[in-house]
Amino acid sequence: MVVLELRKVGYSYEDGTVALKDVDLAIEEGEKVAIVGPNGAGKSTLLHLIAGFRMPFQGEALVSGKRLSAPTADEIRNSIGLLFQDPDDQIFMPTVEEDVAFGPRNLKLGDIEDRVQRGMTSVGVASLAKRAPHRLSYGMKKRVAIAGLLAMDPNLLLLDEPTSGLDPRSRSELIKLLKSLKRTMLIATHDLEAASEIVDWAIVLNVEPVMKGTMHDLVRSSDVLEKTGLEMPPLPRIFRALEKRGYAIEALPLTTDQASAELTRLIDREATHVRRRMNGSH
Amino acid sequence: MIVGHVRGHGHTLPNPDEHSKSHWFGRLDSRAKIVGVFSFVIVSALLTSAELIAASLVLAVAMATTSGIPLRPLSKAYAAALPFIVLASLSVFLFAGTERGLEMLGRTSACVVALLVLAFGTGTFDLFAGMRRLRVPSVISTLLMLTYRYILVVSEEFSRMRTARRARGFRGGRSLLDRYALKILSFTAGTVLVRSTDRAELVYEGLKCRGFSGDITVWRTSVLGRNDLAFLAVLIMSSCALALAQTEVMRW
Repeated sequence: MVVLELRKVGYSYEDGTVALKDVDLAIEEGEKVAIVGPNGAGKSTLLHLIAGFRMPFQGEALVSGKRLSAPTADEIRNSIGLLFQDPDDQIFMPTVEEDVAFGPRNLKLGDIEDRVQRGMTSVGVASLAKRAPHRLSYGMKKRVAIAGLLAMDPNLLLLDEPTSGLDPRSRSELIKLLKSLKRTMLIATHDLEAASEIVDWAIVLNVEPVMKGTMHDLVRSSDVLEKTGLEMPPLPRIFRALEKRGYAIEALPLTTDQASAELTRLIDREATHVRRRMNGSH
Repeated sequence: MIVGHVRGHGHTLPNPDEHSKSHWFGRLDSRAKIVGVFSFVIVSALLTSAELIAASLVLAVAMATTSGIPLRPLSKAYAAALPFIVLASLSVFLFAGTERGLEMLGRTSACVVALLVLAFGTGTFDLFAGMRRLRVPSVISTLLMLTYRYILVVSEEFSRMRTARRARGFRGGRSLLDRYALKILSFTAGTVLVRSTDRAELVYEGLKCRGFSGDITVWRTSVLGRNDLAFLAVLIMSSCALALAQTEVMRW
């Protein structure tokens, strides 16, 4: 089932600046997709447009089969979980559990106690239930914001730069968390490394779509990276350098697991090669 | 691990609500406190007899000292309010005499002390949530809740900008005649205003994303217990006694 479908979607600001142009996108249920692109590429605008906050827009957007328009925006928004770049923009209540319960109570959903517990447990903030969310660290605030979204049980999660502003540990914890969530997700980010770990495929956006494909395809396309001002993550960069020095690299690794597998293969190959050479010389 | 992680990012900003539940007054239901204190304040504000004003002041001070709220911050807050109280009483001193002036001073002090006890002894959100449960219109309680929530965020932003200014050598702002400093400070204020406007838009979108329809109510609500009712009864009876005595005074 297609959860999100965009057909030739475009959006211009009041001053005439074109923010989005001809965006086509279809996301199946359970898929995790990244929108990558430099600052000002329209990533956040696209997420806010899908959540019904950028009207009117050109083209057509369908969320769970419903056509997005001004009259349907509220109803569609209730089935979407939008994570803002700054969690302070979406945390309102005095305690963590009150904040997680905020959405389900507004939407008059049943079994609030259970939803709140599940939401907090899935992101690891159950022990902070009675704490004031505005006193937590930035990373924890992001988790609380995600718990609030999960408690609403949305069909689609829209995450705006989820890893920005986080320290390395919080970042890797959040990546692990997003990887483990079995949800349909659209993640706007310029953190290619994080996207490589989380998503199934990506769309490169620079006002209009530049390319669509897996993260492997993307890191292989040096011209796309250069054109859009994106930087190749360190791991594929190292292996690209090895490739240039004549080592046979099967696939540019994106994650540490892939890198260690590729490195093991490379060492094995080189060891066999050296052994053969030594046997030959004898 | 999570607790350690949070502590590792400890904020330095003081939390005004930190100790609001550490004393018996703080643990009372906010509705009982609001109704009790406000009825006392209304009655005290209407007293005209010097003896009754003195009695209401004694009651307010007794409430402050027995509440368990640390007296130092309470006294500091009262000291901060004192110039305004004196200013309010000054005209009465000048035009109606010393006796009336002292009465005005006592009356205002009794009200201010009682309100300070309420403010210091109740978490800010509890206070607004209590107001909402007392049927205060949602537009007022919701606006107050959001204003308080974002005052904290904006003040953090302001403090970051102040640090940034200092880090870049700015040492002005101590004199009103320093035009350069005034220019820089007005730019800062302008920037904070622009950022706040942008944030307000995002906050609205954040609220809409979570099904907000104009009302913020608290999920975990308390019920009035024996202590709450006892506190309410004492304050209401004291207020009634003062009011009755006042009507007697007026009749004579």
